[in-house]
Parts: sequence; C-alpha cells; structure tokens
Amino acid sequence: MPLDIDRFSHIESTIQRWDPRVKIASLAILIFGVALLKTLPMSVAALVMAFILMTISALPYHFVMHSMQWVILFLLPFFLILPFSYPGAADNHLLGLSFTWEGLRLATLIFVKALAIVLTSFALFGSARFDISMIALQRLKCPPMLIQMLLFTYRYTYTLLEEMRRMNTSMKARGFVPGTNGNTLRTYGNFVGTLLVRSFERTERIYKAMLSKGYRGEFHTLVTFRSGITDYVKAVIVLIVAAGLVVTDFSGHFSVATDGWY
Amino acid sequence: MNNVTKPSAISAEDIVFTYPDGHEVLKGLSCDIRSGEKVALIGPNGAGKSTFMSHLNGVQMATSGKLYINGIEVSPDNLNRIRRMIGIVFQDPDDQLFCPTVFDDVAFGPLNLGLPREEIETRATEALHIVGLDGFEERSSFHLSFGERKRLALATVLSYQPDILVFDEPSTNMDPMNRRKLIHWLQHCENTILLCTHDLDIALEVCNRCIVLVDGKIVADGPSSEILYDRRLLEQNNLELPLALMTHELLHGLLQTEEMDSEHRTIISNFLHAHRHVHGSDGHVHFHLHAHDHDHGHLHTHADNTHSHAEVEHTHDSDQPHFDVAHAHDDASLTTHRTPGDGHEELIAASPQHKERE
Amino acid sequence: MHIADGILTGPVLIAGFAGTAILAALTMRRMDLEEIPKISVITAVFFIASLIKFPIGPSSVHLILNGLAGVVLGWRAFPAIMLGIILQTVLFGHGGVTVIGVNSIMLGGGALLAYLVWQLRLRFEFPKREVVFGTLAGATGIISSGIVLALALLTAGEAFVATAGYVLAAHVPIMIIEAAVVGACTGFLARVKPEVLAGQTGIRAR
Repeated sequence: MPLDIDRFSHIESTIQRWDPRVKIASLAILIFGVALLKTLPMSVAALVMAFILMTISALPYHFVMHSMQWVILFLLPFFLILPFSYPGAADNHLLGLSFTWEGLRLATLIFVKALAIVLTSFALFGSARFDISMIALQRLKCPPMLIQMLLFTYRYTYTLLEEMRRMNTSMKARGFVPGTNGNTLRTYGNFVGTLLVRSFERTERIYKAMLSKGYRGEFHTLVTFRSGITDYVKAVIVLIVAAGLVVTDFSGHFSVATDGWY
Repeated sequence: MNNVTKPSAISAEDIVFTYPDGHEVLKGLSCDIRSGEKVALIGPNGAGKSTFMSHLNGVQMATSGKLYINGIEVSPDNLNRIRRMIGIVFQDPDDQLFCPTVFDDVAFGPLNLGLPREEIETRATEALHIVGLDGFEERSSFHLSFGERKRLALATVLSYQPDILVFDEPSTNMDPMNRRKLIHWLQHCENTILLCTHDLDIALEVCNRCIVLVDGKIVADGPSSEILYDRRLLEQNNLELPLALMTHELLHGLLQTEEMDSEHRTIISNFLHAHRHVHGSDGHVHFHLHAHDHDHGHLHTHADNTHSHAEVEHTHDSDQPHFDVAHAHDDASLTTHRTPGDGHEELIAASPQHKERE
Repeated sequence: MHIADGILTGPVLIAGFAGTAILAALTMRRMDLEEIPKISVITAVFFIASLIKFPIGPSSVHLILNGLAGVVLGWRAFPAIMLGIILQTVLFGHGGVTVIGVNSIMLGGGALLAYLVWQLRLRFEFPKREVVFGTLAGATGIISSGIVLALALLTAGEAFVATAGYVLAAHVPIMIIEAAVVGACTGFLARVKPEVLAGQTGIRAR
C-alpha cells in the first residue's frame, strides 16, 4: 500500500527524536531553499545533504527506493523532451533531432533538485507518525479545521480502501475485466458513484457518532511537544546549510542555464 | 417487577417523527424504561428503530411529542447534558472510530468533557481493559480486526461513562466467541441498556423486557419471557422465535410423539429442564450442573438414578466482569461425569473455550 | 497530473500558495460543523478513486476526477482537492511540498470550473441532462487543469514551451476518459441518490 510513509516512524534516530514542530519548520525551510536553487553544483550539494539526512534518519533504504522509482519515472520525460526542444541553436544532432547540452543540463538540474526534495521530505514525514506530524503542524499555526479534516480523510482512506477492495472482488467474481472500452468507463463511473453514495450515508452516521460523544467543533488532543537545546541546535545546523546553499547559488560562482531560466 | 420504584431512564411520550418530505417514521411512540432495566427494542427492517435511537441523544428531533432522559427533556438547549448521559454504540464500528489512534478514539469523549489529563488516561485505560484491548493505545483502529473494532467502539462509549447504553445491532458480524463475551458483559453490566437488534437470541439472554416496534408504533411491550416465546406475534412482524427457543419447541414436539425410546426421551427432557431454568421468566441466569452418566449403556439402565441437578444462582459479586474471564460460567449447562460407585465427579467442559476462573 | 518539485520559480511557487490560501478561505466560508466529516470522507473517496487505473493498451492512466469533485461538492471541492493534494504529498513520499499551492490551484480550479459548467444544466430541460453535463464537467475539470499546468510550465521559461505543448496534448486522452467516467457517475447518482450531487435546487423545483 502506498499510503504508509510513517511505516518506519518507530525507528529511533536523531531525526526521529527531534521535536516535530522544530523539525517541520526547519526542514520545510531547507526544502524551499532547494526549490529556489538554479545551479547544478549547489543542487548536487543539496542532494548530498538529503542523503545525509536520510542516513541519519535510519529509514530503510529499500523503503525509500521503492517510492523513488516512481519519482524517477515521472521525471524521465524531461530528459526526453528538454534536450531536444531547448530554444536557440542546436550544438549537436542526435538521431536526426537537434540536441542541446544546455537542455540536458536543465533536465539534470530539475532531476537533482526534485530528488533532493523528495529525499528530504522522507526524512521529514517518515520520521514521525502521520497524526503527530499533523498535530505539530497545528501547533505551527496551521488552521485547526484543516488539520481535523486531514486526519479524518486519512482515517477514512483506510476504510474506503477496504470497501474498494471488496467491491473490486465482487466485480471480478462476476467476470469484470477492465479493458480499453466504454463498458469499463461506465463500470468505473458506477463504481465511484456507489462509493460516493455509501460514503454520504456514512458521513451522516459519523457525524451522529461524533455528536453523541460530545463533539462541538473542536478536536482536542493530549499530545504535547517539548523542545530543548538539542532541538534548536539541529535546527540551526539545517538553517545554516539551507542559507549556505541559497547564498552560494545566488552569488554567481556557478553558471546558470542562460535562456529563459531566470 | 422489582424496578417499579426506580426512576425513569428513558421516557417517551407520543413521539412522532416525520421527514420533511412527509414520510412518517415514528407514529406516536410512547414507552418508559426504568433505570437499570435491560430492554430489547426489536422489530423488522424500516420499523423506525434507528430513528428512535437518533432521537435519544437529540441527533434527530421529534416533530411532536416529548422525550425525557433521566427526567430531563431532550431539547436543543439540553443537548450537552443529554449526550453526557446516553451512550450509543453504532452498528458499524468504522462510523464511530474516526481518530488516528485507538487512544485518541477512546479519549475523544472525555476530552470533549474537558476532564483533566490523568482522568482521561485512567478512563481510557479502564475502558480498553473492559473490552479486553489492553495495550492497544498506540495502534490505529483501521488496522484492527472487525471484532476488535467492534469492541473498541464500545470502549469509546464506555470512557464517556454514560448512565444509559444504547446498542445498535451489537452482535452483527461478531464471531461466536466474541458474541458470547459480549453477552456475558451485557448480562453483568449495571447500566440501563437498550438493545436494538434482530438477534433475538441475544435479546433473550440479556434483556428482561422486550419492546416490539413495527411501522413506527409499539405493538408489544412486556417481559422477554412472554414476547420472545410468542411465535405468532414475532412471525407476524418479520421476526422469528429465537433459535434457542426454536430448538426448545422442536424438542417439545418430539417428546409428544411416541416414536422415541426412553433413553433419548431422558436426554431431551434433561436438556429442556436445564433450558427452562436458563431462559426462565425470572430473568436470572443460573448455572446448571447436570450430572448423569456419560456412558450410554449406563444411562440406559440408570438414567433416573444418576440424574442429579445442582443449581447455583449467579451472584453479582464485586468482581468486575470483563471479557477475558471465565466463559464456562455462562454456558447453558455443564455436564458432569460421575462414575457410579466411587462418587467422583468430574466437570466436562460444555464449551471448548472453557477456562477456570482466574 | 501534477507538477513536480524543482521546476517552477520562487515567485510562481509563492503565488501558488497565496492563491490557494485565498481560494480556500473563499470556498470554506460559512462551513457547518456537519460538513467537516462530510468533506473529509468524500475527499477520501476521491483520494481512493484516484488510485483506479484505466488500461490503455499495455499501459494505464489514473483517474483524477477533479471535475466530479466539483459536481459533488460544489465550492467545497476546492478545499477537498487541496486536502487530497496535501495528503498525497505527505503520505506517498513522491515529493511535492513546494508545489502544494500550484497543484491545488491547478486541480481545484478545474473542479470549480467544472462546477460552474455543471450548474449550467439547470437552464436546460431534457432527459439525461445529468449525464451530458456530468460529461462536460468531467472534461472541463481535466482540460482546465491541463491549461493551468501548461501555463505554469511557461512561467519557468522559454525552455519549457515544447514541454507545455506535450503536457497539454497528453491531457486530451485523459480528458476523454474522465468525461466518460464522470458522465456515467453523474447519471448513476442522479438515478440512485440525487442529493449527493451539488446544486440541486433545480432538481427539487422540477
């Protein structure tokens, strides 16, 4: 199941012990810093930093790599499109198409930055249980209503997955084989419609259940966070790295893709 | 009834509920449930059982008529007080478990009451203990089995500590073992209980009173021992005799025929004898020890001599009943094996999950 | 369709978050208590439904169903889609933290437009109009998202012009699939439980 980024959040590590509020705030700043980078050397440095974070977080390699396959697959088209479509004079010809090194460099830059961000996100969200991360976000002044809804959605995703699996089995049991045809489209439409109808009825019951347990719009929690010196030391290190990356990147020591890229 | 002097827990006076589209679900429903009573609300699909349940804590409001919980009228101004007194356990546990962790779900009610942290933690631990889910606090409810979720749903209501417990189909989709544990717990629970169910066997075992709701009206209200034995009443309303009683009736029928030898006749009449005591009209649960020879050959000749009948009335002792203890004690009958002559009696477990009490 | 991290420029990312915040504030106005579990569970449905794959030859595409979200939730489709995107970002481990804003506008904006198209049905009176307008809404949701995505890519520079073109073209088959699924679904809902569909004043008035 692709839904369990927090599957290994029980693994003890320096990142895992970090106060989630401070962790989220500092790693988010790092991530946004990386998003702003526009030179290849600094992006590679960010990727190295992300690998270091991953290693510290002690998340299993295979778990991260599994997700990574999809990211790589998603980014691959850039390598196929950008080198052949970069504006300006072509340096070379490849298989009869005009090919530019500049385009390849741009594709690589995007690729490296995206990987660095994904890996850092893993260290960020893979090191704490989902609900703890959400509560930490709420403490960081995210609107409580939003957090409440995220937690609900998360919770019912599992119930619906089960429901979908059951419906899927019953469809298969009656000989349904998906194919590229109108019947499949119609079946999917009805399938989603059925899920919606059932879920509408379910929400009414959930709301009743919440009311009967005294719900009045607030979602209280007993989770408390504590931050100490070490939490802030970790934050300062991450912020220095982020600032270092961005400042060096902007200083003009490294070349920037020329055309249209900033 | 010994409950007559007790105050009224649920009192409904001529409740009518009509949907905005004019569909009338409850058509003048009146009943009075005393504090501490265990009442089964039975009726066919679409009779209005769920609608009535939603009225009890003011999730739906009656179009006309009055409803009192512990003497307080259910009205928009009183909802918080009412909801504190009444706990509803829903049929589908997924409707009731909406928090990320088991602990969050159990603590949801107490948190809404604004209780101090220690109190909330104590209540959560206690509630989980009662349903046998100790140590599940940090698990996610959606990763539990259905039976566990069903028990957890009960725990989330128990932690709220309501006086009145309302159950919507508590036994559906439960495996026999968990169903048995639930029945045991319900039998020993001291709260007022309203059980909305199609499972008439559970009604028979738990409730001393039955209300039959058909098409928005109460068609019968009386002791379970009368209503649940009334085949005609039940079948007229899409219900049927509890399985236990069907067996009972069937065996009685068999005894009337002449085609049976005395050996089987004895076995059956012994069984019916035990049965009558368990499901007798006094609503008490008795433990039965039926001693007779295990060996068929002996039984044939000494049947009458070896039959002895010991009866122990269960006392509501201080021991808090919970799901994990002794299952054998609530079995309909336990068979003892006595070897004639040496006077030695040995308990033969009547159910496979028999265990000695802690 | 999503845009990945690392492509867009800082100002566009920030504009995405700002726009999302404004749209969320506008579309979440006067929300009832009851709507909190409702929107959440329906969001979960869309979240799950987006895992459904439609086979195209040897490969397959995922359903997006942002148009259907508009049809079912009306204005509230925007917060629903935003929730879905946040959840996806956090849970799937495919990245996307920096583009939550842009992606929300892209898919959520498409859902809002789909809702507007869906509401146009009230001006017409013919059998199966729910199917027809559901189909149109499904198509609108996807193609408007495709356009926003292409525009977002263009802001990253001239180098992405070709990419934007390919992306837009890739949305056409997805649009056809989505239109058919959403049309079937609205037809089903209109028949089975019309109160699930948004903006029903017209249905009642009939």
